[in-house]
Amino acid sequence: MIVDRQYMGVSKRKCIVWGVAFLSDGTVISVDSAGKVQFWDSATGTLVKSHLIANADVQSIAVADQEDSFVVGTAEGTVFHFQLVSVTSNSTEKQWVRTKPFQHHTHDVRTVAHSPTALISGGTDTHLVIRPLMERVEVKNYDAALRKITFPHRRLISCSKKRQLLLFQFAHHLELWRLGSTVATGKNGDTLPLSKNADHLLHLKTKGPENIICSSISPCGSWIAYSTASRVFLYQLSYEHDNISLRRVSKMPAFLHSALQILFSEDSTKLFVASNQGSLHIIQLLEGSFKHLHTFPPQSGTVEAMCLLAVSPDGNWLAASGTSAGVHVYSVKHLKLHCTVPAYNFPVTALAIAPDTNNLVIAHSDQQVFEYSIPDKQYTEWSRNVQKQGFHHLWLQRDTPITHISFHPKRPMHILLHDAYMFCIIDKSLPLPNDKTVLYNPLPPTNESDVFRRRTAHAFKISKKYKPLLFMDLLDERTLVAVERPLDDIIAQLPPPIKKKKFGT
Amino acid sequence: MATLEEEFTLSAVTLGARPDGLLGVEPTDKTDHFLVTDRSRTVILYKVSDQKPLGSWSVKQGQIITCPAVCNFQTGEHIVVHDNKVLRIWNNEDINLDKVFKATLAAEVHSVHSVQGAEPVVLFRGGAARSLEALLAEPQQKVETVLSDGEVIKWSKFFVVFRHPVLVFITEKDGNHCAYVQMFHTRNLSKYTLWPGQEGKSVTLSFTAYVDRKFISLMSLSSDGCVYETLVPIYPSDTEKNQRLVRSLLLKLWSYGEHLFMLHGKCLTVIPCKCGVSSLAGALGKLQRARDPATWMAAPSGSEKHIEVELRKFLAKWTPDCHNLIGNITAGLLGRAKAEPAFYPRNCLMQLLQTHALSYSLCPGLMDAALERADVQVLQLCLQRFPDVPESVTCACLKTFLSIGDDSLQGININMESVFDYSNTEQDEKMEEQSGILRNGFSPEDSSCNRELNEKPQEPAAAPTPCPVTPQRAALLNGILCSAYSETFLLPHLKDIPAQHTTLFLQYLYFLYLKCSENAPMTLPGTHPPTLSQIMDWICLLLDANFTVVLMIPEAKRLLINLYRFVKSQISVYSELNKIEVSFRELRKLNQEKNNGGLYSIEVLELF
Repeated sequence: MIVDRQYMGVSKRKCIVWGVAFLSDGTVISVDSAGKVQFWDSATGTLVKSHLIANADVQSIAVADQEDSFVVGTAEGTVFHFQLVSVTSNSTEKQWVRTKPFQHHTHDVRTVAHSPTALISGGTDTHLVIRPLMERVEVKNYDAALRKITFPHRRLISCSKKRQLLLFQFAHHLELWRLGSTVATGKNGDTLPLSKNADHLLHLKTKGPENIICSSISPCGSWIAYSTASRVFLYQLSYEHDNISLRRVSKMPAFLHSALQILFSEDSTKLFVASNQGSLHIIQLLEGSFKHLHTFPPQSGTVEAMCLLAVSPDGNWLAASGTSAGVHVYSVKHLKLHCTVPAYNFPVTALAIAPDTNNLVIAHSDQQVFEYSIPDKQYTEWSRNVQKQGFHHLWLQRDTPITHISFHPKRPMHILLHDAYMFCIIDKSLPLPNDKTVLYNPLPPTNESDVFRRRTAHAFKISKKYKPLLFMDLLDERTLVAVERPLDDIIAQLPPPIKKKKFGT
Repeated sequence: MATLEEEFTLSAVTLGARPDGLLGVEPTDKTDHFLVTDRSRTVILYKVSDQKPLGSWSVKQGQIITCPAVCNFQTGEHIVVHDNKVLRIWNNEDINLDKVFKATLAAEVHSVHSVQGAEPVVLFRGGAARSLEALLAEPQQKVETVLSDGEVIKWSKFFVVFRHPVLVFITEKDGNHCAYVQMFHTRNLSKYTLWPGQEGKSVTLSFTAYVDRKFISLMSLSSDGCVYETLVPIYPSDTEKNQRLVRSLLLKLWSYGEHLFMLHGKCLTVIPCKCGVSSLAGALGKLQRARDPATWMAAPSGSEKHIEVELRKFLAKWTPDCHNLIGNITAGLLGRAKAEPAFYPRNCLMQLLQTHALSYSLCPGLMDAALERADVQVLQLCLQRFPDVPESVTCACLKTFLSIGDDSLQGININMESVFDYSNTEQDEKMEEQSGILRNGFSPEDSSCNRELNEKPQEPAAAPTPCPVTPQRAALLNGILCSAYSETFLLPHLKDIPAQHTTLFLQYLYFLYLKCSENAPMTLPGTHPPTLSQIMDWICLLLDANFTVVLMIPEAKRLLINLYRFVKSQISVYSELNKIEVSFRELRKLNQEKNNGGLYSIEVLELF
């Protein structure tokens, strides 16, 4: 089967077939750089039908499991839906028809997927777009809305509280920055003059073409670990005044091929690695070397790998979660499984263990937040109350998942968590908001009476000051660090999109 | 079965001034390349499929090429003889013929022959022949004379028979012809006298020959219109003669492979011909062929009614791939219309136009004929359907549309889809304002609206401008507005439009502009209305072409003032918009400075 090189009557030098799909009836669908979607009969090798849908490349194709619908993405940022429909209302003869075009991207749509209820597309403009198929959605609720995902639903930044360092994870490199400081003070909303600017300490490039999957810096700032799809790397950092030196720890254990999550213990003596094989490794860090302490094998009956880890500040407990099964809690001291949090239907998006109480706080993709007491092996009273009363509807309708949870060392009632568009301090001592309460209540004016303030106060203190918010953590009792990633900066770095003629010029 | 394709003229080949300027066309080692020799001074290597020459070589001034250039199939070189005795051999890479290999021979050359699979041979005027190689070994070698005094070579041909080269040439002396067969491997030269045809007066004009087993079949075309076949034995024997009656045209023909060359006066044309696969149906004459309907179309006997019926039948089974046929039919009809002024098959032309197969270039006479008869309906359809109407014709249509009387437009069925009944919307939208104003120029019964407008000028701000033309005329003018043009070619023609028509058209354009500005997207209602930019472009063009004239017309004064006001207001609007844009930019900058502490900042944040 040879594709036609004609492109709008002009013969292009070459025509690249970007994707093919093979249907069970023998139909082959090809998408190519000439902007065509073509249907071929694989038995005879003949072209059955050709749709010219774009002036640019058609780059991706995905077919629904039922093979009655497929989706293609073009370099113009358009996604087209094709459906197998009856030729006439009461005939059995069916043909492929281009039904709907969607334009949610500005750049190349490099990949598409077809779920039973939605078309999913992603590409150069860094957006992942989920377009529900309205005819397949049974309940027309908020889930049936178009979703545009800009940032990965995982933590890309880690923090060394002791040295005030931030480690940024990019696709092919890591950047280590030391935070600046100030000696000035001010009132709410002031921007303080810097006495020392932020320093770019390190730019660590990966070798080879593989993307970085996960990375972490130890709380003491002396270790950096990251993993690609095939290798785990560990580096030791030493600081002498303003100089920083980096030494790679060679000979990582052979069983460590690739990690989905890496975490250091609070005292920076242990490294926890969630391997892509489903097991959890505990590695003892020594000066310039390491020792493999233990491996927790995958839980029997599960094959999925753990992708989220949390360790208790006292170093005794390690919580790990995969994408669907429950959260497992291991005793690091006794090197055995302590308990498993009852399974919940929605994947975990963030995990953290509170100091002192060893309460495990779990955020799920459906925006539910649970608090589970590890010592008691049960949900806390507060968590039961929350479940009884339910979360505020606006909280449940947020678009992005919670990606990080942290705690204030001196305020055990506070839980700090954030998604891409807000951060929230949950004050467990305050009443929960109900659907009649205003959820987003920025700080009430100070001139209001205390009575009013107390009356309107509820447990969820939400701020939308920073967005898109990639990371937020407490550095110490009085310092928060927040990382914003303005979309304009990302767009500025994108290659120019294919210009479309809008006027007759 | 051979199919002759459409001929084309080898454009780059300009033949010498003399009628017998073309000396010969010879094949080369590449099937598509041919050597064309001009008697005056030039040899051209021509690539037929690309219709372009690949190389051209000329002899010096004062020299003259005396035999056609041939290709030496064994070496790929070209060979030509000029001034009867000078032999030249060269390659494609050689540029100057004067600097290539040269050999001056002892005797005058009649021709050089070369065929695939044999060494080239040189035939001298005296009847002797030598292989090229033998000749080049000793160019000045003595060449014997075979022919008698006054006997001249009329024609010669070179064959390879059973792998042996054979040269045949025919001489003439006092109206009698002799055939000579030169065998090279035996060095045997046989001579045969050809008997003249039945009528002794006829002159043999041309010869051609092919090898048929042991004979050379020699065909001769005689001036009596007969082609004679003579079988010349390759190995000595008596000559025979048989006769076949074939009507034939006087043509100098060369045929090589799939190319047939013909000389028409001073033009050399080539007809590519293909031998298709023979089929039983073809042999029985049952192959379906489209009947050329142009014959019944243009037949003077056919009445208009009859033609219409035939045309409808034809169009019913018409497929888009035979649009040439549609063009032919149209041309046929127009040809007849030209010959008989009373014949104008309007309905047929409309039907043909509806096929979408016609373009201006396919039937250039159509719009001229319609213009002549002021047939605005056909003109409208042409403007709408033809992608290639020349600017001069567009302008001629415009003149017709502007000048044709309103009463003549009344009964005509004009396509009105580009026109929206502006009067209704106006009434709906501005009912309160214009309760006193009755239906304006758009009502069919009021066709003198533009005069009214001029007589009773109204303040444009106070009341809506009525449409200055009838809906029929508006539809026609919209056709003009929507047709493609190039400014440079249109401007000179626009200058010829009479002043009062220019004014009317400007008024209409201004009216359309006002209509456009009434809604936010700046579009006109209707199915295919002119766009704002088309309207604006035409206003500019008209003013560019006729500004001095328009200035002098009192009726146009108000219009010009309105346009001036409009431009002024546009300028002020845009300058205000620019100011706002600058302010917004400044605000944004300020906002960014306030919000964005750069890459890194430390802020005080009171948390609850």
